[in-house]
Amino acid sequence: MGNCMARLKLVAALSAAVCALGVSYAQGGTVWDGVYSSEQAERGEAVYKGACIACHGQDLGGNSNSPGLVGMGFMFLWEGRTLGAFFEKIREEMPTDRPGQLPAQDYVDVVAYIMQANSFPVGDNELPYDAEILDGIAIAPKS
Amino acid sequence: MITSNAMCRGEPGKRELPRSILLSLSLTLSLIAPFASAQIESFSAVSDEMLNSPASGEWLSWRGTPAAWGYSPLDQINTENVGQLQLKWSFALDDTGAIQAAPLIHDGIMFIPSARGVIQALDAVTGDLLWEYRPAPPTEEFINSGAGTRAAVLPAGAFAGVGRGVQKNIALYGEMIYASTETASIRAIDARSGLLVWETQVADPTLGYFYTAGPIIANGTLVTGITGCDRYKDDVCFITGHDPATGEEKWRTSTVARPEDPGGDTWGDLPLRFRAGSDAWVAGSYDPQANLIYWGTAQAKPWARAVRGTDGDALYTNSTLALNPDNGEMAWYFQHIPGETQDMDEVFENILVDIDGRKSLFKMGKLGILWQLDRETGQFIKGTDIGYQNIVNLDPITGQITYRDGMIPRIGEELNMCPSTSGVKSWRAMAYSPDTSAMYIPITLNCELATFGPTERQLGGGGAGPVRRVNYHHPQSDGNLGEILALDIPSGEVKWRYRSRAPFNTAALTTAGGLVFAGDWNRTMSALDANNGELLWQVRLATSNQGFPISYSVNGKQYIAMPVGTGGASWSGSLPRELAPELSRPRNGSSINVFALPD
Repeated sequence: MGNCMARLKLVAALSAAVCALGVSYAQGGTVWDGVYSSEQAERGEAVYKGACIACHGQDLGGNSNSPGLVGMGFMFLWEGRTLGAFFEKIREEMPTDRPGQLPAQDYVDVVAYIMQANSFPVGDNELPYDAEILDGIAIAPKS
Repeated sequence: MITSNAMCRGEPGKRELPRSILLSLSLTLSLIAPFASAQIESFSAVSDEMLNSPASGEWLSWRGTPAAWGYSPLDQINTENVGQLQLKWSFALDDTGAIQAAPLIHDGIMFIPSARGVIQALDAVTGDLLWEYRPAPPTEEFINSGAGTRAAVLPAGAFAGVGRGVQKNIALYGEMIYASTETASIRAIDARSGLLVWETQVADPTLGYFYTAGPIIANGTLVTGITGCDRYKDDVCFITGHDPATGEEKWRTSTVARPEDPGGDTWGDLPLRFRAGSDAWVAGSYDPQANLIYWGTAQAKPWARAVRGTDGDALYTNSTLALNPDNGEMAWYFQHIPGETQDMDEVFENILVDIDGRKSLFKMGKLGILWQLDRETGQFIKGTDIGYQNIVNLDPITGQITYRDGMIPRIGEELNMCPSTSGVKSWRAMAYSPDTSAMYIPITLNCELATFGPTERQLGGGGAGPVRRVNYHHPQSDGNLGEILALDIPSGEVKWRYRSRAPFNTAALTTAGGLVFAGDWNRTMSALDANNGELLWQVRLATSNQGFPISYSVNGKQYIAMPVGTGGASWSGSLPRELAPELSRPRNGSSINVFALPD
């Protein structure tokens, strides 16, 4: 737990630094603005394979009991909402056998992986564990 | 089909099967790390006669007998003394996947299917482990092999963990235990030693195929029903019959009407690859006199008509199929909900009861309509809507379903429907008691605001389709999520209801002692008076009651066994979390718990 808290503080500090630098996606951005890094998505893929794949499948397509996390189905469920809402959903309810039990950074990393799987563009910065920033990123169709 | 010999290990008297031509593949499926601590000596081969008419203390089929009553003729434990029940032993099961176990009992031994293909043989009196079969997980090499032709469509390994390792039931026959796997194979395991005798690959798991239902035995044929048929592929769902000695496939009957077959036009113009669903994910029943098996099929996929692209009936989805176990020929079918469009599954257990000399079949699906069919002809006899659904009207004369105004979903439009996609009823099998002439039905009460969404119509796509959902309490529930409903048969009149805040999460078990046993999500196992629903006994267990309780006797002493565990359908956790948030359960604690009267 101590390690987890340390990571949270570090992430929070980094987030603050990112905000201070005025990264544009923090305000009024969308998932098309390059809101995660490839390294983060790679970490998220490892998390996904460990904690999510059993229900949502290797191709993130889901099954009768678990919604798909890519493509038309994902956009139907999440278009018009924010990455913050998506993050909160999985942080509070996933994995279903131990909801909320993954390290906080894992949740935000797996969001990055799902963004990558949906072909939303990669950027230079990591998606931060910061509710305000995540709430400022809309899940939107490509304009 | 791939057949491997696996590990016969030269046991005397055992048939040595030829090595597979695909040895490397078969080894990935059949490598075992056996914990074979004992060779069971006092095991008698199980015959067809024994299966069809088991001794009163035995539990040889997943619901007791091929008629699937879920009824024990034992009466040592009864309404007068059930309050004295004591835990005799408990045995921890793997927490590596969902537990929905249906144990079997033969010669004082309990054979129990656990998560991820594990099977254990336990002394049914003491709980001592006699042997354990534990398959190795598929290797990365196997996962990446594709093991089929559509690997490029569905990424290799798409099957990994699909179904969360559920292994509902196993079958006993001769000297073997038969199991079906989450990697779409079936296995024969020596009942005395726990060693694998053969394994047959029935379908390509990289296409999404897997099993959650176990096999049954019917007239010497091993019958299994596949699931994982929701993704678009150039094949459809099916039921197969196999030679129990070798695993060789004798027949395969599609559960979807192909374009060129009779009924093929019920899918409109959709080509084969876009005819998904009709999964056969609950084991069937068998009538040895009629020599027919009865197997349910699931709804069409994607769930909503507008999403799957046809308003047609979509045969043979959401049907009861009567098949000849010798050749797989369909004697009749009855489609309960033609063109079903909201995930209202009718795949569940088939209970065979003769009513006034008429051979009947009883079934209930998610809508909560109790169907009575003539099991010789498939003719509709009676339908009883228990009154918890707002989606369809049932013609009581013909059995025809018509959708109520506005209840056929349109893409993107919210629908207020009862029940939710959890269903009024699900895999939690009801039980019949001949003593009371009643069905005892585990019910889940809730409704849903549902908005169905589109999915890609392309190979590898499809699936159930996305649904935005908001669950809410059923207006007739008084805030309860669970109910045991006792219905008089054949009148369909309500005898009593017993409600609980938590959903009931097991099948029901009836006994000649005048009892009904069931367990709920909130760890509570209950014994009710079958006549009036009075609560007679309760106990809290390690985690959610989940699976198929049974009763058996050894050396004249009666036992009640209750499996508990987690996992399974997502709503089994999400419903209590959303609608009864004050409840909680441990996320592990899977076990089998055995009760009896004091010595």
